[in-house]
Parts: sequence; structure tokens; C-alpha cells
Amino acid sequence: MQFKCNETLPERGTHIALKAAGGGCQRGDGTSCGIVSNSATTPGDMTERGCTYAGCRGVVGGPVKDAIQLTHGPIGCAFFSWGYRPHLADTDFHMKYTFVSDMKETNIVFGGEKKLLQSIIEANREFPEAKAVFVYNTCATALIGDDGRDVAKQAEEIIGKPVVFFECEGFKGVSQSMGHHVGNETIFRQLVGSIEPEGDFSRTINIVGDYNIKNDIRTFEYLFEALGLKIITRFTGNVGVDELRIMHKAALNVIHCQRSATYIADMMHDKYGTPAINVTLWGIKHMSQALRDTAKFFGLEAEAEEIIERELAKIQPKIDYYRERLKGKTVFIYQGGPRTWHWIELLRELGMETMTAATTFGHDDDYEKIFEQISEGAMMIDNPNVPEIEEILTKRRPDLFISGNKEKYLAYKLGVPFVNGHTYDTGPYAGFIGMVNFARDMDKALHAPIWGTLRNRARPAPAAHHSAHGFAHGFEEAD
Amino acid sequence: MRQVAFYGKGGIGKSTTQQNTAAAFASMGNKLMVVGCDPKADCTRLLLGGTRQLSVLDALRDTGPESVEIDTVLVKGYGDVKCVEAGGPEPGVGCGGRGVITAIQTLETLGAYKAELDYVFYDVLGDVVCGGFAMPIREGYAEEIYIVCSGEYMALFAANNIAKGIKKFGERGYARLGGLICNSRMVENEYEMVAEFAKRINSKLIHFVPRSKDVQRAEINRKTVIEFDPALPQADEYRQLASKIEANKDFTIPTPMTQDDLEELMRDYGIVD
Repeated sequence: MQFKCNETLPERGTHIALKAAGGGCQRGDGTSCGIVSNSATTPGDMTERGCTYAGCRGVVGGPVKDAIQLTHGPIGCAFFSWGYRPHLADTDFHMKYTFVSDMKETNIVFGGEKKLLQSIIEANREFPEAKAVFVYNTCATALIGDDGRDVAKQAEEIIGKPVVFFECEGFKGVSQSMGHHVGNETIFRQLVGSIEPEGDFSRTINIVGDYNIKNDIRTFEYLFEALGLKIITRFTGNVGVDELRIMHKAALNVIHCQRSATYIADMMHDKYGTPAINVTLWGIKHMSQALRDTAKFFGLEAEAEEIIERELAKIQPKIDYYRERLKGKTVFIYQGGPRTWHWIELLRELGMETMTAATTFGHDDDYEKIFEQISEGAMMIDNPNVPEIEEILTKRRPDLFISGNKEKYLAYKLGVPFVNGHTYDTGPYAGFIGMVNFARDMDKALHAPIWGTLRNRARPAPAAHHSAHGFAHGFEEAD
Repeated sequence: MRQVAFYGKGGIGKSTTQQNTAAAFASMGNKLMVVGCDPKADCTRLLLGGTRQLSVLDALRDTGPESVEIDTVLVKGYGDVKCVEAGGPEPGVGCGGRGVITAIQTLETLGAYKAELDYVFYDVLGDVVCGGFAMPIREGYAEEIYIVCSGEYMALFAANNIAKGIKKFGERGYARLGGLICNSRMVENEYEMVAEFAKRINSKLIHFVPRSKDVQRAEINRKTVIEFDPALPQADEYRQLASKIEANKDFTIPTPMTQDDLEELMRDYGIVD
């Protein structure tokens, strides 16, 4: 419970809690309160948080497949926000290209508006097939007061297609979570409802908050279609600009990621009265429930049961096989936000137990959902930093670590089996068939022959072996 | 080499005072460089007889940082004073403050700070509006600062604000206030009031420059008074100011006043009822 690495940073105690016997909360500062989240970073905390720009460009706006993704800022802001998330689509324009106004010293001094306008026009000339231009503001251009909204308006008149300006300056929030908010709000204000198509939309849904990481959509889209429903807009994995513009026509919003995309569902509810349901599209129980809840809205309960039965019959033998191999294993899940609580049940279905659960930018409601689901003795930690992760891996010693690319090599160095849950090294992991992939990858990670080799030969000497930065090394207490 | 910065409220006669003082220094045999730190680029006009040289930032923008040469941005004016304008963006766009930082760093890279210089003057836009406009008084640049003001409330209000900026840098171990220069606006009790204000902020009134039509006459001829007619009494005022600056050894960390105290001072001297 008490982290050695936090001896000099007692404030971190308020971000860490155990689920005590009897279900109470036992927080690191000695109180029984829920943990503190979505708050400013404590100085000294080697946080892994991203910025508002990253949350907007990288997560919400970036997957839109036929928009020119243009960063208004220095060149590095464009490179480091491009291509790291495999939010695939049926076309690859958005993955292949990134655009930037390339602000340099003299542009900052003299203002970047002209160069931005020129960049938009030029990008559109090179790629006339693009349906819109998404412009993301950065710290530098925000500080000098470039009026990006006005430039977008001018550009729209010149190129004759939507130019959407995201005010997602990096310094705006406490983490990337603010960028999701800006992304939702801007897309809603600028695009949703800007086209009024004719037709019958009574059997349509939007999938809100899926970003089609490694084609996750292929694992569940056909299930909704089998119910006789049409997905008109996916927010924002594998989505086109024109689909975002008619998003308001859907009869129901099915919300998957309940951190980065609830905002747009709320705004649609307020403006268009669109009802919404919260679902989890991972694991047998939750995916089935998602189909049942969606079906109930449309009066298609019988169809749903049929589909669930058929699908489960297909995967059950495989799930049973992996369950045998995985049962009893303990897991440390660390994801950006809701995936952490989405997966606790999925892991139980495979006979595994989550002993530590963490998110980078979760809010109170995410932690409430985690706390509800974890077992007594399990730990919850908000926005863990690298020394804390190292200590969890070496002291709490989970059998498996499910996290992202940032933590991958730390896990490998410490000899901990690892699965990349952020961007999936293989994937996809959603839906029923994705769960088999997930189980397969966990099995491969846990039973890789390398662990046997390490145990017998390649372990460093246990005594006096410290990593260069002075934190406890993972092999010290291994046996 | 002494590096001196002039601050003060916009429109107070800061650039006129600075250029006349520079001309006086030059006429007394000193080697000077004047760095204009105002996006309007009007801090060296009188020394250059009205010609406008390319500003550092214009040169950076037009030719790129690799190709800027010192001779294109540094022009000699009256008394061989080397004149440089930082330049900057048009009003309402970009970042003038960053411009000052970029320009001064560029001058350094180009080797403008030559050892044979006796004085470097920085003439800085209006108030210290952001970090960039405090660049000339950061460590390694101007160590002494003069605030140009008058006996008007807004001028003293601005001077007090500038003193706050100097205090911050002063506490870090550099940048000292050398004194206040009163550029008279013929306000009642002006000398006494500015002298008292200077005392209250832990400084002194280094010189009281009387109002004179000769300054405007010289300006219309695009000249400093020193160049226009060195025999004029006003030319002597600037020479006196230069001599006082030259002899000045009294540099302080200012103690800015509260707004209430400042208003009370104005009342005591009969400006505010």
C-alpha cells in the first residue's frame, strides 16, 4: 500500500486506494475516501499524462478518415501526434498523411494566420478528394493569439468545404482528457446536423466512443447489423466527415468509451433528443448485454438472443481452452480510461483476477466503476508514474501486465509478461471473436518460453543490482 | 561597456529623450549602439536622419536566420552611433515580446556586442507588457535602467509598474534602477512631485528635462537637438543628463508604491482633487 517511491511525495497517497475487507475504501492518506482523479499533477510526479492537443488530435479527431489532419504549430507537434494510434479505417489517407503549418521563430513573431490559411489551401489543392480540413491549435500559436477560428472561416469560403478549428491548446487541461472534450464539442458544433438527409432512420444507431483500434469494429459491427440495424456514424473509428454531419439522424447512441465520447451523446440528447445507452463491447457478458440493451430499444429481443447463442457457440470451445490455461492468474491493468473497468469482467470470464487497476485520465465515475468490480485486497491507482508502475510490478508481482507501448519495455525488462491493450500488437480484442484474440495473446505472453530461459540462466545477480535511476530493480526479490 | 535600458509610458517622449541622450554621449566622444525594442521601429529615426533601416526581424523573415548579416541591420547614424531596430509584427498579430527576445539573441549571434563599445542603449516599448519586453534587462544585458516619465498620473502609474518589473529582476541579482528622467509636461509642482515619487520608490530624479519647442523643431528636421543646433540651451540639458548618467554610481532595487499611496501622493501635490 505504501509506495517506497512516494516517501518524498506523500500527496500521491490520495490517488491510491485498496479495497479493504468488507468492501470499504482504504486510501493511501489513511482516509476511507474515494481516490482523487482528474486533478492537476503534483510537482515531482513523473506523470505519463498527455496533453489536450494529444487527446484531441490523437484520439478524437485523428481517426476521421477523409479529413486533412492539419496541426497549426511547430513541426514536432505534428510528428509526435501522428501514426502512433492504429485507428484504422477502410481507407488509409488519415494514417498515411499528416499536415502542419510548420510554425518557425519568425512565424511566431509575425503571427501565423497567413501561413495557416496558405497551408489549408495548399493541402486542399494537393488532396482535393478530402472532405474537410481539421485544424488543431497548439500551445505556441495559442499564446501569440492567432485567430484560427477566423482563418478557418476564410478558408471555408475559399475551398468550399468545412474547415474545423479545434481549440485544443496543449496547456488547457490537466491531461489529454480535456482534448477529448474539445474534440467532441467542436465536431458537434461545426459538423453534426450540417446535412439533412432524407429517408427512414428509425432503425439506425451510432457507435459512440470506438476508435477502431486495429479494426475492433469488425468484431461487433456485423452483430448489430445482424439485428437489422444500420450503423450510420461511428464516433470516430472508421468514419467519414459526411457521416459525422448526419450523425444527429440516428435513433440511438450506443456509447462504448464512456470517458472520451459521452460529451457528444449528451449534446445530441439536449439538442436533438437522441436517446443513449452505455455499453461495453468487450467480453462475453458485456457484449451480450450490449446487444440485448440495443435490441430492447428497437423491440428485437428475440433476434438478439439468437445471435448471442450462435456467436457463443462459435467461440465457447476456444474460450474454454484458454480459460484452462489462464485461470488463477493475476493481472495489473493500466489503460487510458474506461478500458480498465471494461476488462475486469472479461478477465474474470477467463478465470483471471485484476489485482491492480489504473488509468491515466479516468474521472471519479471511472474509478467508481472500477471499485465496484474489483475484489477485496485489489488496488486502484490514478495516473501511476513510472516508479510506481515499477514498484507495482516488482512488489505486487502480477502474473500479467496489460498496458500500452509506453510501459511495454519496462515490463519486459522486469521480466513481466505483457499485453498491449492500448494499441494491440495484434488484435482486435473487442466483441466475441476479439475476446478469443485477447485470450490467445495473454496465453502467449504468459507462457512464452522466454520466461523459462530467464529463470534458469539469464537472471542478473540478486544482490546490489540497481537500475541506473536508483529505483528498486525487478529481479531483486524474484525467486 | 555599460548597457542601459530606457523604459516609460508610451508617448512620454522616451525615444526622443533616449536619442538626444545618445547623441550627447556621442558628442562627448563615446562609442554607442542603440537597440530599438519596439515593434514600431521608431527608436533610431532622429539619429539616422529619418532613414529607416531593415529591422532585425524583417531581415530574419526575409532572408532566413542563416543569411542575415550584421551590416544589413546595423547602420551608423549621428556621431557614429550604431543603430539597430528589433522590429516586430504589425499591430494585433504575432508576438512582439518574442520578437524582442529573438532580435537580441540574433544580434548576439551576429557579434553586434563589440568590446570597443562604451554604451549600449535599449529603448523599450511602453510598459513591460510581457516577458519578452523584459528581455533587455535579463541577466547579461542592461544592468542599469532609467524610467522616463512626467508629472502626470498615468506616467507615474506606468513608472510604478515598470518599477515592479525591475524589482523582480533586481531580486534575482541583476538589473538596477539608475533613476527617473522627468520629461516635463509643464504639470504643476512637477519637479517636486516626481522627485518625491522617485524617493518613495527608492530611487532619484536624475534629471529634469524642461519642455522646449526646440525639441519639436529638431524632430521635424529629423534630427536630435544635439545635431540640429548644439548651441541651444536644450542641447545643454541633454549633455547634462548624459554627464549625470556617466557619473551615476547610485543603482537601487526599487520599492514600488501601492496604488493608494500613489494616489495620495498625487493629492498631496495638488494633481488629484
